[in-house]
Amino acid sequence: MASLRDRLWATLFASPYLAHLILLTAWPVLALAYLSFTDYDTVSDPEWVGLDNYTRLLGDEAFWSSLGNTGVFALLYVPAQTVLALVLAVALNQKIRFIPLLRGAYFVPVVSSWVVIAYVADSVFNPRTGSANTVLGWFGIDPQAWLNSPALVIPTLAAVAVWKGVGYMMVLFLAALQAIPQERYEAAMVDGGNAWHRFRHITVPGVSGTTFLVLVLSTITTLQAFEQVYVMTDGGPSGASELTVLYMYRQGFQFFQLGYAAAIAWVLFAIILLFTLVQLWLQRRWVHYA
Amino acid sequence: MRARTPAALIALLAMAACGSGPAAESDGRTTITLGYYAEAGGPADGTMRKLVADFMKANPTVNVKIESAAYDEFYTRLRTQLAGRKAPDVWLSDGALVQEYAGRKSLRDLNDLAKSLNADDYYGIDLIRKSDPQGRLFGFPQGAQTAVLFYNRTMFKQAGLAEPTGEWTYDDLMAAAKKLTKDTNGDGKPDVYGFRSYSKSFTESWWPLVKAFGGDILDDGGKVAVDSQPARDGLNWMLKAMHEEKVSPDVVTTDALGGSQTLFPSGVVAMQLGIYARIQTAAQGDIDFGVAPMPKGPGGKRGEIANINSWVINSASADPQAKAAWKWIEFFSGEGPQTAWTQIGEAVPINKKVAASPAFLEPGKPPAGRQVFLDALAVADDLGLNPVWSEYTGALAKPITSALSKEVPVDAALKTAQADAQAAIDRFTPGG
Repeated sequence: MASLRDRLWATLFASPYLAHLILLTAWPVLALAYLSFTDYDTVSDPEWVGLDNYTRLLGDEAFWSSLGNTGVFALLYVPAQTVLALVLAVALNQKIRFIPLLRGAYFVPVVSSWVVIAYVADSVFNPRTGSANTVLGWFGIDPQAWLNSPALVIPTLAAVAVWKGVGYMMVLFLAALQAIPQERYEAAMVDGGNAWHRFRHITVPGVSGTTFLVLVLSTITTLQAFEQVYVMTDGGPSGASELTVLYMYRQGFQFFQLGYAAAIAWVLFAIILLFTLVQLWLQRRWVHYA
Repeated sequence: MRARTPAALIALLAMAACGSGPAAESDGRTTITLGYYAEAGGPADGTMRKLVADFMKANPTVNVKIESAAYDEFYTRLRTQLAGRKAPDVWLSDGALVQEYAGRKSLRDLNDLAKSLNADDYYGIDLIRKSDPQGRLFGFPQGAQTAVLFYNRTMFKQAGLAEPTGEWTYDDLMAAAKKLTKDTNGDGKPDVYGFRSYSKSFTESWWPLVKAFGGDILDDGGKVAVDSQPARDGLNWMLKAMHEEKVSPDVVTTDALGGSQTLFPSGVVAMQLGIYARIQTAAQGDIDFGVAPMPKGPGGKRGEIANINSWVINSASADPQAKAAWKWIEFFSGEGPQTAWTQIGEAVPINKKVAASPAFLEPGKPPAGRQVFLDALAVADDLGLNPVWSEYTGALAKPITSALSKEVPVDAALKTAQADAQAAIDRFTPGG
């Protein structure tokens, strides 16, 4: 049993973290919860409005539309990024020349700012001058408006987001791949397993813990996506890429409705929590920790 | 009575750590903070700092502390400062936003203070009063923006066309635009267009067109009135220019070519509707250009509108600070400072004497004939200002842009625009 003196010392050592948690996380979260029940324009004092903000959310078509846009973005981004990161990790887990260079090349977009990425993406997806339409032209396909097309803007944003983020997830998979005992592959080869069998029955289960992590992180990333759309489309064309966090930002910081924005933040938090819990529950069926 | 809240308390505590309270000088001087948005180190920033130094020299009892930032950053910071009761005593407000802050009781009514000046000597005061339901004066003009027709003189000469005149109608504009549109690389698509009709900056695009065709955005009672036949006619004229006659880049092409503000300076379009500040961007393109009155719509209206950027005084500032802030406004509105400000070419001077002087009318660089800006300003309407301007104009712009992109029919877009914009206005309840 720890003495009182030990406990005091322990509390003292933990106090910087506790102060950070209380002042910069717990308190703002509680303040946000309070604000979500108020009409707060950031200029005047907040006014208690009960459940008005949440009731308004139910009938706010633009909010549901932003949630739909975010859902489509997640459905395209999460599987594409996860599969591509795994495939790249397997490809770059070989003992061939220039491997560090190649791994570095895939990681460069991860550390680049969204402003830089937006410029590079424009050189590919600009409807007039971009290389994507040049390539389509070789196959006789009409040029597309990409980020200016309501139908294509979310898939295009998802493709760019995958390109930017895949390097990071690839590194996670690389670490997991290197932790798989080599003996398993050797045993499979002795039993006549081909490359596909080894990938399907050893690699995929072997990295399933990391796959779970990548899925959770990617889902949260998409539900919180802001900077990319703010820089690349500002929610356009005509709101087709208005994701929920951008919508929340607009309400809070452009339209003086911080109380309403706080309600959106809480609903988004509930959605993220729900998705994470579902993924946690599902992982028991397919994740192998060994 | 509303209780002070945790969030406001946090903001107050944070702000308390960052600065001192209202100045209480023992030496008889009054310190005020002055906020404005400008690109750091740019001509506007440099001129403003010089004028502040001149002001302090002329008014030794007033000490001015400057708080400046780029536009977006300035407003983000301003809102936090207002929450913490630490906003500047006087700041430069985008004219479109004056009512957003006035409606939230952050601004002082300048009616009494402004009695020291003769209102007839300045442009824009009537428009600022008009935007307030009770005719109060929540800002004093700092610089005016109004749209006119910009045209590329070289392109007109090459096409053998006479330059636009005050008698031009939108039919004349369409006819000239057809002759100015060219496919220079022979790929079957135009590369040079007669007229830039769409812009995200809608006060230089569909807004004046709707008005020129006889429609309006808000009626005299402040209700949204955009779902009307004249508004449909205005938007249909733009659709015809972009998609039928193809004399205007469509919405996608406008963005793809770098955005609406790059097309005229780079010679991709021969004409555009542009506010006074577009002279600066046009000059960067090294083109020979002129300005003409806005074309007339079918009923003879031109749809002139103006945005009056204004000095505003914080309602929370104490009387000595407010009086010192007003001294600054008086100083800035004077002939000397207005002439200095005119020389950076950013806005039409609000001092009528300076506006009528060679400093504004004949600055020795294009465009000639700047009188058209003054003529437009004299008859211009306001921008349908109210406390939810950003929100309701956003609600208008979204469906209207969809219609101009041919994603939804004009009729349906204007119905949605009307309903959503009115809902934003109806939702607002005055705070404070």
